[in-house]
Amino acid sequence: MMHSIAQKEFISTLRDRRFGVLSALVLALLLAATLVGRASYRTLQQERQLAQATVNEQFRNQPARHPHRVAHYGSFAFRPKSGLSLLDAGVDSFTGSAVFLEAHQQNSVNFSPAQQSGSLIRFGEMTVAFVLQLLVPLLIIFLCFGAFTQERETGTLKLLLSQGVTIRQVAWGKILGYSQAVALVVAPALALAAVLLFTGEEFASGVDLAARLTLFVVSYAVYFFLFVVGAVVVSAGQSSSRAALVTLLGFWILSGIILPKATANLGASLYPTTTKAQMDAEVHEQAQHGLNGHDPQDKRAAALKADLLKKYGVDSEDKLPVSVAGLQMAAGEEYSTRVYQQHFAALNATYQRQNRLSDWAGLLNPYQAIRPLSMGLAGSDFAHYVHFQQAAESYRYDLVQRLNGLQASMGYGDKERRLDASTWRAVPVFMYQAPTLGWAWPHLFLPMAALLLWAGLLSWIGLRLIATTPVA
Amino acid sequence: MHLFRILFFYEWRHFRAARGLVLLCCLLLATGLYGIYYGTTEIERQRQHLANLPELTRRNVDELKVKFPGPADAGDIGYYHSTFAMHHPDRWAALSLGLRDVNPSYVKLRLLGLQNQLYATDNTNPMKVLSGNFDLAFVLVYLLPLLIIALCFNLLSSEREEGILVVLLAQPVRPAVVVGAKLAFRLVVVLGLAGLLSVVGMLWAQVPLDGRVIMWLSLTVLYCLFWFGVSLVVTALQRPSAVNAVALLGVWLLLVVLVPSLLNLSVATARPVPQGIALTIKQREEIHGGWDRPKTETMNRFFALYPQWRDTATIRERFVWRWYYAFQHLGDLAVAPQAAAYAHGLQQRYDLVEQLNLLSPAINAQTSFNALAGTDLPTHLQFQRSATRFHDSLRAFYYPFLFGKVEFTHADYAREPTHSFTSQPELPTLYRGLVKLLLSVAAVYGLGAVLWRVRPIIPR
Repeated sequence: MMHSIAQKEFISTLRDRRFGVLSALVLALLLAATLVGRASYRTLQQERQLAQATVNEQFRNQPARHPHRVAHYGSFAFRPKSGLSLLDAGVDSFTGSAVFLEAHQQNSVNFSPAQQSGSLIRFGEMTVAFVLQLLVPLLIIFLCFGAFTQERETGTLKLLLSQGVTIRQVAWGKILGYSQAVALVVAPALALAAVLLFTGEEFASGVDLAARLTLFVVSYAVYFFLFVVGAVVVSAGQSSSRAALVTLLGFWILSGIILPKATANLGASLYPTTTKAQMDAEVHEQAQHGLNGHDPQDKRAAALKADLLKKYGVDSEDKLPVSVAGLQMAAGEEYSTRVYQQHFAALNATYQRQNRLSDWAGLLNPYQAIRPLSMGLAGSDFAHYVHFQQAAESYRYDLVQRLNGLQASMGYGDKERRLDASTWRAVPVFMYQAPTLGWAWPHLFLPMAALLLWAGLLSWIGLRLIATTPVA
Repeated sequence: MHLFRILFFYEWRHFRAARGLVLLCCLLLATGLYGIYYGTTEIERQRQHLANLPELTRRNVDELKVKFPGPADAGDIGYYHSTFAMHHPDRWAALSLGLRDVNPSYVKLRLLGLQNQLYATDNTNPMKVLSGNFDLAFVLVYLLPLLIIALCFNLLSSEREEGILVVLLAQPVRPAVVVGAKLAFRLVVVLGLAGLLSVVGMLWAQVPLDGRVIMWLSLTVLYCLFWFGVSLVVTALQRPSAVNAVALLGVWLLLVVLVPSLLNLSVATARPVPQGIALTIKQREEIHGGWDRPKTETMNRFFALYPQWRDTATIRERFVWRWYYAFQHLGDLAVAPQAAAYAHGLQQRYDLVEQLNLLSPAINAQTSFNALAGTDLPTHLQFQRSATRFHDSLRAFYYPFLFGKVEFTHADYAREPTHSFTSQPELPTLYRGLVKLLLSVAAVYGLGAVLWRVRPIIPR
């Protein structure tokens, strides 16, 4: 019986012209968003790969130079796009793509797509995730708001129950039927995305990508399922179709438009951060005067020199086999980087506190659960961005220390000499390895739990509520 | 007229009794007040951040005074000294934050090449900027139309569905008066709310009382009128309430969500921006090539631009600051065409959006609010030009020290130029926005009038 109800809902949905138009629209948007997502992914990826290859070539082909000049010449790190970011661009449009790596300072990641467009970008971007997170639920609402109210208004619910089915079976039948209809709309686009992802030569298709894509699809399936169940439960609880529709649309506006913005803004107001200028000044001052304020840089440098003279048992700098300036530079870099890392960690901890409000709101609002989950799986969330920043900084540090080491080994009077051009070809270039799903897992746990909790509670408590709904 | 007043009065009693609608109005008022609170505190925070910057410069100068206790080589000072170009918000920015959180509100500058300093960004939380700003403009552009929809979707249909319309129209009353009275009442409620929020926002943000007060209110009124026009058109089709609700929400979705995101896509494709990345890479090559080029070549190129320093001593030293700053500046000049093309490309993108925003009054209203507050891309580009001029003035200040071999004393720090830039409204954009909004309003009421004429009211 349940299956006949499911089949009836499925078929009558397909016959509904309004559903046909709406779903064709959503499907068209999904397919367009997938193709556009891939095109923009390709452009950005090619631009960044080309830029990275260019700067790597430039670095390796430097003439004979003093290593500290090379440290100031520096290099760039470009952030490659993750494969799944063509489905969910996440925060990518608001994060920079290039960072200049040089001695003594940590630069900002510059040139975000948002800075290259007007305020139009604040209306939101047409990505697959946007369609899946906001438009498909709207389609589900239009599909399901009359699930029970209409049966009641036309008097068919009584007839149905007189056949000997329980109201719960009716509800499950409807949920099943509607779910099939939704799957029919969404599946082609996701299939296209999967094909594009696994056939395009530019994607490093591997186990990780497959696992991410699978979880991506499963998460959205749960998300749509809970919307279907929720809409059916609301339909059973409301007295008229109009009331059910207004309630559901009100929920959609609150959860999709108002709450995400309000929680993000409130979080930022609650936990203020400092500017980069302020942070850089503090890093500089602490590196100069010592972390405790009583260990100034020149004293540290003098102590280092004295230690060296003692270690090699000589009485003047020119008798040392190493360059004091090079070793002092290395010690200074180590110290200032340690100070920077403390500040960077504190800044990110503040950002995490700001975002925590939104994360926990996921327990109340399924949209705020699927959003971080989706961008986390797509590799385009804040955590993945920080991972890139840290990888770039760690490469910068290694590069600069390697060059300081080269300078130190040049011995006394290094400033008058240069190192051979072949030296630079031996320096490793920046290669970014995006983190695996296992690394991202801790960030995904809360939103995933929130989604499952919603689905579970709705199917359990919601369906119990349905059982008490009036028949006529 | 008397009849109109009676109908208007009964709409008021009806509205008071409908608790859901009163609740919605209160909700909008509350979100609007939160938007004003958020916008003003956000701008206050930015002001505070900017106010802290001179202190950083002062600390930097104190450090340099210790490092160079006597008269110093200006080259050393130019290298270690940093100062700030600052972009102060207009008071109106609190009501429409635009891109003020995406673009940095200051640039830290040293005497070195400008182009690798100009595009530095500030610390931002990407999740927060992705979610956007909950300012008054957001409430007016996004949420106010939803309130209008909630008030108007069953303007006539509920009367018909409850069987009142047939009784009402049996009275000696013209249908136009009924619809007019209902619409007028809702208009008073919505405009009252929007006006109240705007006035509270203006007082809270302490905006200067100039012509922009009228502009802001006109924009708000026209935008509301547009959405009432849309409701009028949908009401004229005389479908059931549920269909009306879906149709109105569909229009909202189309104009506020779909058109903007599709427009964003097409503009990015139609106006590709020359790469900022390529520009900085090229500038680095030029500047670092300066170390390897013969000094006379560099200096001759520089003197061609600054003939007043031509007669200064020939460089024989291995390193001298004036040569170093000469090739820093030549590096900037080498990428000047790219820098201009980059800024021009961004402006063109903005201009194209401005031309096409007739497609959606929501984009038009948002663009106009931002133009009024001076918080959009053109203002940031203006700030970048102003910062460039400031860098020029810094070079003009240091060059006499460097080329005239004048020693830099402690008293000279105070003579260094400083920078301040305050956002200016984009008035031409604002005027065009108002005219276009007026056109949209005229179009939608024209359509409504035609529909009402061809379709008489069906009482049941």
